[in-house]
Amino acid sequence: MIASLRAEALKSRKRWANWILFGILLLALLLLGYVITYLVLRNPPQRFESQVPASVLKREVFPENLLPNVLTGMSTIGAAIMIIFGSLSTASEFGWLTVQTILVQKPGRTAVLAGKLALLAIVTLLVTIIVLAATALTSYILVSIDGSSSNWPSTTALLKGFGALWLELSVWTAFGMFLGVAFRSTAAAIGGGLTYLFVGEALLGQLFRNTDVVKEVLKFLPGVNASAVNATFPLTFRNPNAITTQLVDAGRGVITLGVYLVVFTVLALWIFRQRDVTGA
Amino acid sequence: MTQTFAVDTHGLTKRYSTGVLAVSDLNLRVRAGEVYGFLGPNGAGKTTTLRMLSGLLRPTSGTATVAGAVPGSSGSLAKLGAMVETPAFYPYLSGRDNLRVMARYCSAAKARIEPVLEQVDLASRARHKFKTYSTGMKQRLGVAAALLKDPELLILDEPTSGLDPQGTVEMRALIKDLRTGGRTVLLSSHLLNEVELTCDRVGVIAGGKLVAEGTVDELRGRGGAALLVRAEPIDQARRLLESLLKPENVQLKEGLFSLTVEPSQAASINRRLVADGVDVSELRVSERSLEDVFLQLTEAPTSQARKEPSA
Repeated sequence: MIASLRAEALKSRKRWANWILFGILLLALLLLGYVITYLVLRNPPQRFESQVPASVLKREVFPENLLPNVLTGMSTIGAAIMIIFGSLSTASEFGWLTVQTILVQKPGRTAVLAGKLALLAIVTLLVTIIVLAATALTSYILVSIDGSSSNWPSTTALLKGFGALWLELSVWTAFGMFLGVAFRSTAAAIGGGLTYLFVGEALLGQLFRNTDVVKEVLKFLPGVNASAVNATFPLTFRNPNAITTQLVDAGRGVITLGVYLVVFTVLALWIFRQRDVTGA
Repeated sequence: MTQTFAVDTHGLTKRYSTGVLAVSDLNLRVRAGEVYGFLGPNGAGKTTTLRMLSGLLRPTSGTATVAGAVPGSSGSLAKLGAMVETPAFYPYLSGRDNLRVMARYCSAAKARIEPVLEQVDLASRARHKFKTYSTGMKQRLGVAAALLKDPELLILDEPTSGLDPQGTVEMRALIKDLRTGGRTVLLSSHLLNEVELTCDRVGVIAGGKLVAEGTVDELRGRGGAALLVRAEPIDQARRLLESLLKPENVQLKEGLFSLTVEPSQAASINRRLVADGVDVSELRVSERSLEDVFLQLTEAPTSQARKEPSA
């Protein structure tokens, strides 16, 4: 597995698509979640209407709200990017047929996929650290520019938030990786993953959230459970527009996400081990 | 003395989930140290067989040992270098980086990379991205990757496919060079002159079955020899020859009779023709080409396989 991990690390480091992907993630998160939000709320338009004054709303981008702001932002753009990353890591091997070149080298199938999984876990960890560091730095710069004061979350909260973000990103990465192995096609894996995220979870989930039968199904979806975990990191001010009733509690959310992580990983391994590797 | 086999299969069969029977009851034995040509028309089952031997496909039934172990096991793969079908590498990596990746996968020493690049004559282009490579360079990189482990057994699937004449000549020379040190080479091809020029023994597969096996000379011998006769007047000569031999053993093409007969009968046939007043201007024995034998061997099984209903 170590040999496979080293090979995966070299491939991943030299692949520009990965750097571009994570560049887009940081850029979108910092621009949309911080800079533009701050600029708009600092000088709100004349017809700006909100139950919460802009002067309070802008505190969303300050250090005191680091965790809720990052977790909310990452639940959409972060999830999408990690699905794409996970899909690319496996589906590309089938698209380029490099999977057969790898498998006729020495490592067995389990070792190959285990190496890939280990690398995905490491990259997801690094993304979590970098995202938290970059957003913390940005929020510090913004609060300094604003001339306001703000407190950082406690170490315990930071550790919990870090763990929650890593778990959620890992689940979405594993989902993408599983789709890549199952579909053996980059387009199908990314398309399927993003369609599920934005149409299945976000759109249909919101539209039918109050339908009893659908509500029971929603309780088992990863996005809904991630949202429940994120809700344990509230904003420091009350925003009636942003309040959503959670369908499950945070404890169940963490367990469900953990189960998804294991299921996606085991299924991908099982399929990868069982299937014949055929040509183009 | 016991013969050791680098590849030994017993009743190897592969039926795809679509019902297509790609390989049927294949018994293949490749001796250690030889260059074995696996010959067959397109769709005969060559690549499916090589995929099973490399552990990429699981056989439906039958058994195989490759380099003394079960195909696809670490024991087998440690001694096997393979290029199956298209050489597939990461397009965004250079040739050298692709080999670095493969060396890491198979735990080969990094120091092996430059020698194999030199061996396949790719050192000067090793820093360029794989996606910029010509077909010949891709094939050579595929061979280089297969050589990283310095394997005992090398499986090359259609290594000259898509190459220009110059590239084909270079690849043949490389294959001859690869057998040094007692390495076994299993080479699949549908090109007759390729196996004729490079292989010690040949197995012919058609319709998923092994239909013949032996040296090139042995295979040529299977078809027998033909006696070629140019004689006039043609009609008189034909009547006489058909009475001497059976009509199906006499064929006339462009004024030349091709007789399916033992070459030792040439003198007596000549005497009979001359005695009957037929002028014989040419009489020679023509060995059947490997191509003739190949076509004869592969025609029937391929037709049968096509007719076989899929499950």
